[in-house]
Parts: sequence; C-alpha cells; structure tokens
Amino acid sequence: MVVDELDALRNANQGCEMLAFADLSTQMILVTDTAANAPRETLDRLCNEAMTMLGAGRKVVLGEEPSTAALVANAEGVRVFLRAADEPNDVLCCVCAPELDVEAFVADARERLNRISSGA
Amino acid sequence: MSDHAELAQKISALAAKDTVFEAGARVISTGGEPNPVSAILNEIDDTILERNLEIRADDAVVNLIVSGRRLRGIAGASSGADGVLGQVLSREEPEVVAAVFAVLSELCGQAQRLTARYLPPTAFGKDGERGISVKGLAELWQLDLDETPKPPMERFLRANRAAAVAMLHMRDGELQSSAGDVAALQSILDKQLAEFRASQSYGSGTQLICLEGAFSDGTAAALAIHNDDVAVIAYQPAHLGALHASWRAILG
Repeated sequence: MVVDELDALRNANQGCEMLAFADLSTQMILVTDTAANAPRETLDRLCNEAMTMLGAGRKVVLGEEPSTAALVANAEGVRVFLRAADEPNDVLCCVCAPELDVEAFVADARERLNRISSGA
Repeated sequence: MSDHAELAQKISALAAKDTVFEAGARVISTGGEPNPVSAILNEIDDTILERNLEIRADDAVVNLIVSGRRLRGIAGASSGADGVLGQVLSREEPEVVAAVFAVLSELCGQAQRLTARYLPPTAFGKDGERGISVKGLAELWQLDLDETPKPPMERFLRANRAAAVAMLHMRDGELQSSAGDVAALQSILDKQLAEFRASQSYGSGTQLICLEGAFSDGTAAALAIHNDDVAVIAYQPAHLGALHASWRAILG
C-alpha cells in the first residue's frame, strides 16, 4: 500500500516532514503523507518543483540528461525528488528538515518508491 | 603582544556570542575552517590549568593532556595513536613530535566538524615534563595560526575537491577557480543557469542543488549558490550525502 510505505518512510527517517507521491505525466500529486495538512498551493508548488528538477517531458534543467534524483537544500530545509526506476513518471517528493541524513534517507526512499511504483 | 593584551583577547574570544556548543562541547572548526589542527592548537593556547582536552572530529576522538598553553601529549585516541600514547612531547624527541602531528592530521585533518571539551586531567608523564608550547608546535609543524579565514564557498569547494570530477567557481561573473574538464559545467553557466534561476519557485538565496545523472556519463551535477558566488560541480552520485553534509556545515 502506498500510504503504508510513505508512513513507514516518514517514521523511519528523522527530519522527514512531508511526502507526496506524484505522476509527472499528469502533473498530479496522487498521495500525500504529512503530520499536518498541507495547503493545495504548497503541494502544487512541490509538484512544479519536481517537474523542474527532474525534467518533465525530458526537458533538461541543468546538464545533459533529465535527472533521476534531485536535492534542493537551503537554510530552511531539504527537498528531495526521486524518480522510480521502471516508471519514470512516478516520482516521490519529500520535504525534510535541514538536519536530514541525506544518504540514508535517499537510499530508503528510493527502495520504497520502486516498490510503490511496481505495485509490489 | 603584551601578556595583558593577549589575556584580554582570549577572554574576549571565550565570551564571543557566536560560539556554538553541541552536547556541551564547543565547536572549534566547521568545514575545515579554521584548519582543524590549527583549531586544536588554538584551544591548547587558551588552556592554562592542566586539563584533558577531548577533541571530537566527526567520528574520531582524541584526548590531549594540555597545561600552561603547552601540549604535553596524547592520552587516548579512537585509533592510530598506539605509538605515541602516554609519551610527553619534547624537542629532544622530534620523531615523537612528528608522530603526534601525523596522528592529529590523520584523525582530525579532514574533519567537517571539530568540538572541544575540557575534562579533569589524568595522570600523565612526570611533573617536570612540560611538553611543547603552541608557538613551538606551530613552528615545528609549519602551521600559520593567524591565517585569514577563507570565504565560505572556497571552503566548501576545498572540502569537496576529492569528490569532484570537475568544478567551476564564479563570483560576480568572474572566474575564481576551476578544476578538471569544465566544458560541460561552463555550458550550464552559459546556457542554462539564467533560465533555471528564473524558474525557481522557492526563492534563490543560499542553496545547494544536486541533480543525479545530469551528465550523459552518469555523473551528477551540483549547483551551489551563496551571495555573489556560484559554483558548479560534477561529482560521483555516491558523494551526495557528503556533499550535503559539508554544504550544511559551511553554508547551510
């Protein structure tokens, strides 16, 4: 279940505050997981950022190829965007605190996203 | 500098409002600034009474016996110090002095974060064995304790030089430094950066952006922005965690 995977991901990683599973082809967020309700505008902005960073429609933002994963960090926090291995339009958008253990989180999130995307 | 002026300077440093503590330990170096070994010497230079100075450097720990602004020796270390443990430093034994420098450099030299904590002294050497003064150690180890701190972006790039396949640093449009084959990075700056920054919906202050698989050879791209500094880095994806950790320590 998507919700269970997202719940487990958020609970297992300190600093993970909000998760959104989205479909880049329709530019829609399908499932969210957060302790507090996120306004629609916040989710839309997150989805837009995922499209920019991961390169929706093969549009490359920086570099030569659309990215498989992106991280945006500033003083307020870290946002991570991951693309599923077998279904490139399935993406996970993550809003996290600045102190996130990025390496551990990305490994865990990638594994769960691939399970969600493959329906396992 | 007179003793009084020096004392006043040290009291002022101890009272500084920007001092950062972590779990009771004082942060003395972040992101390699100041140079970790120099930061340790500065701590020793501030220590009059005999103390066990515990230095934590990321995951490593080293315990130094210091007294009278002198380093007496290493009382304990998480690894690599067996040959010098318990030995009091003396100018008459330069191999021990060099070995202690090697231990400190190995354990602390590349640390992203160094903290210092003062513990009660433990029995160490004989009373008359005073160790070596900080000035003496700086001279023997060829360290400049008055080195001017480098700007944050330069420290960030220096901390990640080993992980970078190539890097390009611009300030106000002027090239500051480069390393490796920067053709692809220059292309990002020339053709993509302006449009990218205009498209950002979350603002454009100090930030780090990492894009995995951004280059056709599988390397990742990172864009670091801080005030007028812009750096573009090509790096292996496995270094993402380390890149972010150093960015947070220095610029975050």
